[in-house]
Amino acid sequence: MTKGIKIAGALCILFLCSLRLTGQVLPVPLPGGDIIQPFGLFNQFFPGVGAGFDGLNADPHGINNSRTFVAMGYTAGTATDSSGKTYNVITDIRVYQGDYIGAVPTYGAGGTTSAKAHGTFVEI
Amino acid sequence: MHDFNPGITPNGVFWIVQIPDDAVQITGDTLTIHLQNIAVIDQLHFPGGTGNAPATVSFDITYTKSGMPRRVRPTSSDPLSPFTWAGKMWMATNTGTFSAAYNDGSFAATGSFSSSGNFGEMGTERNGSFAAENDDAVAKLLPSEQGQTGVGVSQLVGNKNAELRSDLPLLKGRVPIKGSPLRTAP
Repeated sequence: MTKGIKIAGALCILFLCSLRLTGQVLPVPLPGGDIIQPFGLFNQFFPGVGAGFDGLNADPHGINNSRTFVAMGYTAGTATDSSGKTYNVITDIRVYQGDYIGAVPTYGAGGTTSAKAHGTFVEI
Repeated sequence: MHDFNPGITPNGVFWIVQIPDDAVQITGDTLTIHLQNIAVIDQLHFPGGTGNAPATVSFDITYTKSGMPRRVRPTSSDPLSPFTWAGKMWMATNTGTFSAAYNDGSFAATGSFSSSGNFGEMGTERNGSFAAENDDAVAKLLPSEQGQTGVGVSQLVGNKNAELRSDLPLLKGRVPIKGSPLRTAP
């Protein structure tokens, strides 16, 4: 009985997970990226020239298999909180708009196949 | 430190949120984005922070391209390389304003930022399975092509911003560097 409940619970979780994905083409990350120790691989490059950057023509995108408009830029600024405390602000906000080929669940356990989609994404 | 981001998806897509197409307007040399109350967390550290205060951010940013575009061609067949994509890119600047607030109301801030002196770019890109396509497939995305010559090296320095005050705490969208701008190993 207990085993049956556990199996039923697992199936419910799988079912709910698949519901969440239904109809959504999930973007796939770049296969490469920056390795930042000790945390590991972040599927993102940092275009730019000079120390700490990956080069002028490093891929600015965060989504693989994409054909999009892209805009990005590193910024600096200031902010003030509600108590009057001031902060330095650094941003790297990137915008992607266009087509991409992502993943959709197709098989019984959520196994994927490719699907083309259009979308707008912002990387914050 | 505060670090507002939407998190990394379980499959590894880095800090990305899908937004309505009409939140972005592309006109001539500019791209503007207007977003309100995007759900994020304050990670309180980067990378690997353990904080997760639920919050929202709103911002308006205008990106402006300048100069002549450069053509980018894949120069590596290594799928893990940064140089496997193709496109046409312009150097670009951007300026913006933002606000951020915890959902519980315990923290809120407003501010502004500018890319002046820092690296930025905009254009069209194809990567992955699209990288081998012809440029014409995306040319319609970006009108007013101005040529194909390169840009001056002085425009390409990653970060020359000297205005970051080291005596202030840091509030960031991503990639924190205290004192020395933009990026160092943690």
